[in-house]
Amino acid sequence: MSNHQATAQPSKLLQKIIILAVVAVLAAIGGISFRNQRLFKETVVSSDALTETRWLSDYLPSLKGTYSDTPIFVYDSGVEGGSVLYMGGTHPYEPACSLSAFIMMENIKVEKGRVFIIPQASYSATTSGILGNAYPVSFDIKTDWGKSTFKIGDRVTNPLDQWPDSFTYIHYPSGQSQAYQDLRNLNRCYPGRPDGTLTERVAFAVMELIRSEKIDMSIDAHEASLMYPVVGTYVAHDRAMDIAMMAAMDLSATTFDMKIEQSPGSLKGFTHREWGDYSDTLAVLMETPEPFIDRIVGPLTEDLMTEGKDLFLSFAGDKGLTFVPYSLETGWPMRTRVGRHLSGAAKVVEYMGMFFPEKQVIATWPSYKELQELDCGHFLHDPATADPDLVFKI
Amino acid sequence: MTYTVADVAIIAAAMVIAFVLSSKYLKSTEISMAASGVVGVAFAFAHGWTKEPIRLLVEGLFNNLDLAILFICASFFVNVYSESGALNAITRKLVKRFNSKWVLMTFMGVFMLIPGALTGAGSVSVFVLGALVTAIIRFMGVSDRKTAAFVFVFAILSAAAPPINLWTMLMTAQANMPYVGFELLLLIPILIVGAFTIIYVGWGAKRQSKEEILKVLPEANEKYDGAGGWVRILLPILTLLVLFILALVLPYDLPVLGLPLMFVLSTVVAILCNPGKAGLKDYYGMFEKTMEQVFPLVATVISVGVLQNSMAASGVKGLIGTAFVLLPFVWIYATVLLFAPFAQGSMSYGSAIVIGTPLIFMFNTAGLNTTVVCAALSLMFPIGDCLPPSRIVGRLTIEATGYQGTYTSFLKAVAAPCLLLGLLALIMLIYPNTFAFLA
Repeated sequence: MSNHQATAQPSKLLQKIIILAVVAVLAAIGGISFRNQRLFKETVVSSDALTETRWLSDYLPSLKGTYSDTPIFVYDSGVEGGSVLYMGGTHPYEPACSLSAFIMMENIKVEKGRVFIIPQASYSATTSGILGNAYPVSFDIKTDWGKSTFKIGDRVTNPLDQWPDSFTYIHYPSGQSQAYQDLRNLNRCYPGRPDGTLTERVAFAVMELIRSEKIDMSIDAHEASLMYPVVGTYVAHDRAMDIAMMAAMDLSATTFDMKIEQSPGSLKGFTHREWGDYSDTLAVLMETPEPFIDRIVGPLTEDLMTEGKDLFLSFAGDKGLTFVPYSLETGWPMRTRVGRHLSGAAKVVEYMGMFFPEKQVIATWPSYKELQELDCGHFLHDPATADPDLVFKI
Repeated sequence: MTYTVADVAIIAAAMVIAFVLSSKYLKSTEISMAASGVVGVAFAFAHGWTKEPIRLLVEGLFNNLDLAILFICASFFVNVYSESGALNAITRKLVKRFNSKWVLMTFMGVFMLIPGALTGAGSVSVFVLGALVTAIIRFMGVSDRKTAAFVFVFAILSAAAPPINLWTMLMTAQANMPYVGFELLLLIPILIVGAFTIIYVGWGAKRQSKEEILKVLPEANEKYDGAGGWVRILLPILTLLVLFILALVLPYDLPVLGLPLMFVLSTVVAILCNPGKAGLKDYYGMFEKTMEQVFPLVATVISVGVLQNSMAASGVKGLIGTAFVLLPFVWIYATVLLFAPFAQGSMSYGSAIVIGTPLIFMFNTAGLNTTVVCAALSLMFPIGDCLPPSRIVGRLTIEATGYQGTYTSFLKAVAAPCLLLGLLALIMLIYPNTFAFLA
């Protein structure tokens, strides 16, 4: 071996060691961040109207101990009436839905009937971000006592919990082919299967909750991109159309523009279709505008999530390419989106009572107007001073 | 709003410069893509748009991890199958049985369409049949360059072919459209381009005589003779096909295996069917060879993931999407055949989400048939699988066919069929309502 070779080899070895060390450091930093996101819990202080806490695994025991088991909060007035399910977190990258559920939980009063709230329906999907989208991990809401932090999750079940994907997803029971990753999308997996994939089992457990508790109205909260035609809309199952139509007209006349669409029969696996087809519930899905998830927005920042202001999207808005009005001055802030969901839910519940008096539920929570005036943080209570029995880390 | 158009444009320019300089001095496309990604994330961090720049880079490494695992497993299967002599044996049998050049080429084209059509991935067609098809087409007297073109074009056609077209599925999923009514809209242009490709590649090629071909081909192991021989030859590939089909027809009765595991199971069958005496050491050698072969491609898809995250975090992805959707319709028609394939080259299937979905909404507002629009776009994106920076199917084709010419000469060879595919798709995009009866 020549001297040159002798010195070249250690130098190459040194290069490899340095590269490995750099990779190890980067992997450790990234890994710690992934782990923190996986384990992070949101804090909620329930109102004292809470009567019971259940888990999704109560309706399908095989979910127990998995990252898809999620709490269900029950608010029972003790007065005979109807029952309502409000579900946030089907798609955790649409966080106004979970936040609206949290604000509902923190402030709800029930005078008649029962209200079930699932704030994080697809819990596993809250534990990772969407690959390729470079989302921030969380966002903060300023409160009267400090700040509260909430997660920005994925659209689908974390691959750590359900992997691999098939090369195509075939919906049960229709047999309709859908995009491969929708096998992990809760809102494509209804009515679900008790022995299916983890996501299908979550869907089945939600169906079991609706069926066994005889839920009269089920509301699934979502956010949509502004270039998506169904943004700012109720999508209602056939049997819930009259109620949703009246609620949309009422809201549009008095509070904010709300559109209405009938659930298309050809779209399989969605809440607005399968909840209604596979139970007696009146199924309604709500979409509120979320600029953050539009495909053409600029840098994906926490401010964009909370304020909804984006320059590129405003160009599309100016050209009439958005399906709700869009301006840079107002954006679509969190208070507006959460407020729409809270009043949107209240309105369909109100009309259900008018159409079906025996199913009436009388419950109150903060309204759109209150949110606009006081913002989200005002309705979140300080866990440090609250009754510990009502503080939950989810 | 915390940025200006200039901010994002500067970052885009910096990323391009980083890519060019890195390519020049480091001579590696993969490292250059990663370097470009690092520059984008660094700018995003400097602007205060992200608090966790390193997390974004690490997360990007996972974007295409499934694809990387698939490439490794599929390549290992092909190498094991090829080393067992089965590929050689089947080539000999086909050459003995069929005399017509056109019949053989048509068979090869149809064979190539099947794996990609069932899985949605053109790369699978290249992995499973690329080597076999190359051998047969070459014996038809076709030049190496046109042989590579044949394999590539049928690979992208297979990816676009029904029942599984991932671009369509992704766009319909994003737009909440049902994935129905696409069969004829996709199949008819694919059959036209397929027929054209066979003529384009085969025209003027002079088939060698059967004897000449057989003389050149290595002798097959005698255990490949007779009915038992056919079983040995076909069982590994049939295993794969049966697993694909079972996943489609019995989705509720079988666990989800995923493509990589299907290739692993087929590899086990290929090992059991090998009539030669290969030991653990030999298979380890094949695995090492596989990793050597597939490493550049794995590095590409992993680096593209970093670039994708960086483009999203820095707003460059939004800049590209905005620039495109703000164009008047006539300009979209004029530029979509450049935009869509290049988006595929840089974002892989992300192109369908970033470019495709906004376009569907745009065309919807104009009252145009979105099913036809979606199908048209789904026929344009696959063309980009030979374009930089990723060039995934293009590179796989070069690898599978052993083409020694320059990449530019390969691109020239695929240009005519790709252009025809693009033009057919463009006509569908311009006149979607005319083709609505096919939906």
